[in-house]
Amino acid sequence: MDISFSERLIGMIATGTELIVKAEESMGFWQRISPPEDISSTGHLIEWLFFYTTYVNIFWFALVCFGIFGFSFLYSKKRHAKPLYTHGNEKKHLLLTAAIGLGVFLSVDMVITKVSTRDLKEVFWNFPENDPDTIKVQVLAQQWAWNFRHAGKDGEFNTADDVVELNNLVVPVGKKVMIQMTSKDVIHAFYLPNARIKADAIPGRFAKLWFDTNKTGKFEIACAEMCGNHHYLMKAQLTVLSAEDYERWTNESQERAIATNDTENMDLRWGWQWGSK
Amino acid sequence: MAFVEQHIHDAPTSFWSKYIVSYDHKVIGKQFLWYGIFFLMVGGLMALLIRWTLAYPGVPFPVIGNLLFPHTNGVVPPDTYAMLFTMHGTIMIFFAITPILTGFLGNFCIPLLIGARDMIFPTLNMLSFWFAMASGVLLLGSLCLPLGAAAGGWTSYPTLSTNLGQPGVGQTLWLLSLFLFGVSSTMGAVNYITTVITLRAPGMGYFKMPLTIWGLWLTAILNAIFVPVLGAGLLLLTFDRVFGTTFFLAGAAATSGKGDPILFQHVFWIFGHPEVYILILPAWGLVSDILAFFSRKPAFGYKMTALSLSAITILSTVVYGHHMYTTQMSPLLTQSFMTLTMLISIPSAIFFANWLGTLWKGSIRFDSPMLFALGVVFVFGLGGLTGLYLASTSIDLYLHDTYFVVGHFHYTMAASVLLGGFAGTYFWFPKMFGRMMDERLAKIHFWATMLPLNGIFMGMMMVGWAGMHRRLYNPFIYEFMHKLIPVNQFITFSAVAMGLAQFIFLYNLFKTVFSKNYPAAPANPWNVGTLEWQIPSPAPHYNFLEIPHVKCGPHELGNPNLPDGRDFQYQTEELVKA
Repeated sequence: MDISFSERLIGMIATGTELIVKAEESMGFWQRISPPEDISSTGHLIEWLFFYTTYVNIFWFALVCFGIFGFSFLYSKKRHAKPLYTHGNEKKHLLLTAAIGLGVFLSVDMVITKVSTRDLKEVFWNFPENDPDTIKVQVLAQQWAWNFRHAGKDGEFNTADDVVELNNLVVPVGKKVMIQMTSKDVIHAFYLPNARIKADAIPGRFAKLWFDTNKTGKFEIACAEMCGNHHYLMKAQLTVLSAEDYERWTNESQERAIATNDTENMDLRWGWQWGSK
Repeated sequence: MAFVEQHIHDAPTSFWSKYIVSYDHKVIGKQFLWYGIFFLMVGGLMALLIRWTLAYPGVPFPVIGNLLFPHTNGVVPPDTYAMLFTMHGTIMIFFAITPILTGFLGNFCIPLLIGARDMIFPTLNMLSFWFAMASGVLLLGSLCLPLGAAAGGWTSYPTLSTNLGQPGVGQTLWLLSLFLFGVSSTMGAVNYITTVITLRAPGMGYFKMPLTIWGLWLTAILNAIFVPVLGAGLLLLTFDRVFGTTFFLAGAAATSGKGDPILFQHVFWIFGHPEVYILILPAWGLVSDILAFFSRKPAFGYKMTALSLSAITILSTVVYGHHMYTTQMSPLLTQSFMTLTMLISIPSAIFFANWLGTLWKGSIRFDSPMLFALGVVFVFGLGGLTGLYLASTSIDLYLHDTYFVVGHFHYTMAASVLLGGFAGTYFWFPKMFGRMMDERLAKIHFWATMLPLNGIFMGMMMVGWAGMHRRLYNPFIYEFMHKLIPVNQFITFSAVAMGLAQFIFLYNLFKTVFSKNYPAAPANPWNVGTLEWQIPSPAPHYNFLEIPHVKCGPHELGNPNLPDGRDFQYQTEELVKA
């Protein structure tokens, strides 16, 4: 193994220790295992359904535990020497079992399926494509980086004034962001924990997703699908700017793009017509 | 039923014919047991290496680190890490759990519990083991290649698993190894299905079979139908890698033609979801039986349990799409898969209710098989219920590919199946080896496994909900995961504890099997009435001198009118009226 690799590992050990020291900072248990801050207007839908499912699960699992521990206690050989001889196939037994099955169906299946379908239809699959206010971004995933393309002033993708950023997605706060995404090589997945969303970037296909933000700052975008040995390094930053900052950023990067874009270099023209399949 | 004449053959005499190329289902079952235990140890060590890396990235693995990774001073390198989780998944699913639950328990139990002298196709049975052996050798051999073994995850999604992402021969060997394994388990499955249909003892209708046999039989049916589907996918992927076809290549990687990587995911999960049930059904079956045996009561709602297991078997074939929500299938497909997946909870609720009904007003003995069976009820309760989150498409947008998924499927597949396997091993051990395992050690083994097990998989679900995603060499690259370091360390310590606890089992196993002058087990140590307990322990090579005639169900226990103070009756006895 070459020296640089060992050096990197030693560096990592150092970082590791540093991180562990940081993590020692006191933090409540629930806070520790809570998801990262929700910066979207849609994340609470997922949390609501998650907690609904949790409460129903606690109810049903409590029943199971009552059966396991309660019956083990009440009907152990010591306390209950003579077992009841029943095959559990009398009418009342079947009715009780059927009632439990129905209870699970109504309390769990119906609610989750219904709420989930509603959320998908009204929110997560309701793409704001025709909303002129939407920020449109094209994403090209590759081993192991994210390329983000804004259309630039002309509103057309794959032209010389496109603003292309590596591992940094810049969006204005409060606006809806619509992403079209594909992959150059293997399957990746765009994962934005702060907005509770995820979609696979698949070579040969376009995936789409949308999110919005209600807070400025820097957040993390991860690749969630195993994409090779350095999958863990495929991290990008979501930079959420205020409207003015975003305006400034657009103008600056626009000028830079026009000045530096090499129109002859076809490798830079990886974008596509918005919405083309 | 018994229209196949079963001859009694002479007992094999040489070591070779007795232990190596044996046709005897009991010996083949034991071969699969040793095979499975060996791979459990390999896969378990890999799990610990993975866990160590997740808790202490960049820190040398203790004790044997320098031996394994001399070039990096004992630290697991990133490419090895990818190889480790790929091989851990592959080994545990195909080479540890499947051989133990279907290879070992299936082979050992089916003829004995249905009153047959052997499997219907003994040669096929023997070949099934040796194909599995060849497949295991290929897989382990791939670890010694210059570019290492497959490292694209156990699901080996293209295009990562094509030459684009996995240039080494390791991935090709992985494909061939799994293909051979598929041949082996299909041979086994065909054998099991036919044996159950044709060799049941006279009088044993389908609803007089022990529920263990129901579980194993349904597993065999799923296996025979769906493992060949995987085989097709594996072959196509092999063609892509070796012969330059482009079934699964798309985008810039496809220089000619146009394939589709998602096609592989469909093929893989058409097999992959039934595979989950292939693993768990035998455990469900034997748990249903053991709960009845040790509660000294007939299984509550036997018929309903058998039918709900069958219903789940059928449903399991039409829900596979829930593994692929993030690939953005059409909304129609996505919602259909969500609804169908949810439906599984109804039959599951029914057999859970029946399990608890079996315990209700029983007279429960807490022998080791019972402890493990109760453990299965507990962990499968957790594993099944957490499936509800992932079945819901909108929650899956967040939880897909996080540790929540890892925790969930380990609860269902690792925890439940493993505990079920232990329950079966402790239960049938006297019939296998003619000796009883040390009961005290077995109980210690149970608690020493059960407690850390929940620490591991509960912890995984917690870090998953906190957003930690899978297959990261160093998760703490991400700032939002820094707070999860202590939780990850806790999971790792639990994993080490659970790993160490398995040495109790190994010690118990080896001590009982190999020590000299060990007391012999009685023919029926647990006082139950299924057919295998009427013959001596260990079972003679022909099993039954006389083919038994079955007259009553498998769990006739606790009948107050039984003569001479017994609390159970054999299946060969006329049912005593209550």
